[in-house]
Amino acid sequence: MRRLGLLTTMVLMLVLALPGLALAQDGPTVADLSLAMDTVWVLIAAVFVLFMQAGFAMLEVGFSRMKNVGSVVAKILVNLAIAAMLFWAVGFAIAFGTGNAIMGTQGWFLAVPQNAVNDVYAGLSWTQVPLSAKFLFQVAFCAVSLAIVWGTMLERTKFAVYVIFAVVFAGLLYPLVGHWIWGGGWLTELGMQDFAGSTVVHLSGAMAALAGTLLLGPRLGKYNDEGRPVTIPGHNMPLAVLGVLILWVGWYGFNPGSTMAATPQIADIALTTTLAAAAGVLGAMLMSYAYRRHVDVGMGGNGAIAALVAITAPCAFVAPWASIVIGFVAGVVMYATLVFVDGIGVDDPLGAIAAHGMGGIWGTLSAGLFTTPELAAIGRPGLFYGGGLYQLGIQALGIVACGGFVFLASLAVFATLKATIGVRVKPDQELDGLDIHEHGVYGYPDLVATDYQNGNGASKIPDPLDRTAEGTV
Amino acid sequence: MEPPITQATARGNNVVAVYADRVELRSGWQGQHVEAISIRDVSAVRIRGVINCALTILDNNGRHFELQRMALPDARAVKAAIERQKQKASTYE
Repeated sequence: MRRLGLLTTMVLMLVLALPGLALAQDGPTVADLSLAMDTVWVLIAAVFVLFMQAGFAMLEVGFSRMKNVGSVVAKILVNLAIAAMLFWAVGFAIAFGTGNAIMGTQGWFLAVPQNAVNDVYAGLSWTQVPLSAKFLFQVAFCAVSLAIVWGTMLERTKFAVYVIFAVVFAGLLYPLVGHWIWGGGWLTELGMQDFAGSTVVHLSGAMAALAGTLLLGPRLGKYNDEGRPVTIPGHNMPLAVLGVLILWVGWYGFNPGSTMAATPQIADIALTTTLAAAAGVLGAMLMSYAYRRHVDVGMGGNGAIAALVAITAPCAFVAPWASIVIGFVAGVVMYATLVFVDGIGVDDPLGAIAAHGMGGIWGTLSAGLFTTPELAAIGRPGLFYGGGLYQLGIQALGIVACGGFVFLASLAVFATLKATIGVRVKPDQELDGLDIHEHGVYGYPDLVATDYQNGNGASKIPDPLDRTAEGTV
Repeated sequence: MEPPITQATARGNNVVAVYADRVELRSGWQGQHVEAISIRDVSAVRIRGVINCALTILDNNGRHFELQRMALPDARAVKAAIERQKQKASTYE
């Protein structure tokens, strides 16, 4: 009996000691733990950036009339799906694959052996996280850029146009610009500073949006009989502001996540991001009050977005005080641009050209002004820190090259679409709303407002509020 | 009211709609101005351009309506619909 007890005790001790022995022999090294932390951080950041799609959906829904909300969310979903597919197939390889100064030529379909990842994707070899994490983070950026395109084209665009242009943009245009600046292309070689994508993501999207809007034309009723712009209010301002706040939160993945490593620097980047956004809200609201004598809620939201777009390029390179200046100026410039764009006949329901376009241009230039010598990991210090005009010139060159390329290429695609299938829905469809014509449902079945056509009998769509119709009480 | 055979949007709140017996041109901020041209009165329909097309409708009274910045498929559809209706009315030259 004593022997049995002794044997049992020994076996138990051995079982208890085994994990300790195993850990002592195969325990993770500091490098393993660091890589795991980096990977978790990049995945969390990627999810934050993907969640920005919800922000765009709410923002666009809020700024749309209720007859078009279903179309907006359907478009967001299909664009996210197309961006994921195309970026996986070809986009990621063009953007980050090893190649020449114009485009990557290796790594199609992510089909790369584990030990060759850094050779095939030289554009992202500076980060050690797994390829799948790199892809997830970058595809989320591509989807954001694509979402920006449609903010200006709401409420009158054919659904097929969304789908076809998304294929071209996610598969070719965005990856090319990404390669030039981030993937080892010619602007990388020149030292252009665009930390998280003021130019790559936001300016690209806005330039494509401008091209599309010029060919699409304004919504019916946007300009009155004297040619002056008429405000077409969105149907739900709380949803629009919710969208802005989701985007603001998502930006904590966008900017700090672009370190692609869990370093202490992410806190500094989060700080500059926050200060800029706050200053942008104040700048836009002050402009709104000065111009119209009331504080416009939508413009406050657009001010935050413009500031976040602007701080995206220099967020890792500038001091906190500079981020406040950058954000405030972005809010002011956004408002002035919005008024100007409205006045020259370009109907931009969301203010995407002003917020993402001018915000992107100002943000990219601001890196050439405010980058400090200590934080200039890429390129040179800014003009205000004794760096001279070199960096500012490179930033301006990048804006002209990338913005011009995306604008012209998008113009060619939209022109082809306009000459072949048409880009705009029929007038009755626009007046009745895209929800019922393009998707067969109302966004709000019990509460929908359509335009004048619905009341004069020209529309084929039954009035949902007509309770005298057959089958209703 | 009968639905149009085809319709299209042009620049500046202008809408053209083709019905069996007439072409309607709606304009104005709220679509408040409506000009109806009888199909029999339409003398010619022309399209100019490929991307931002101009659709010109001439009538027998010497009036000249030009709709600008239309998509080519829309302009073609309007022209084809008018010509088809004129053929049906046996007045096509």
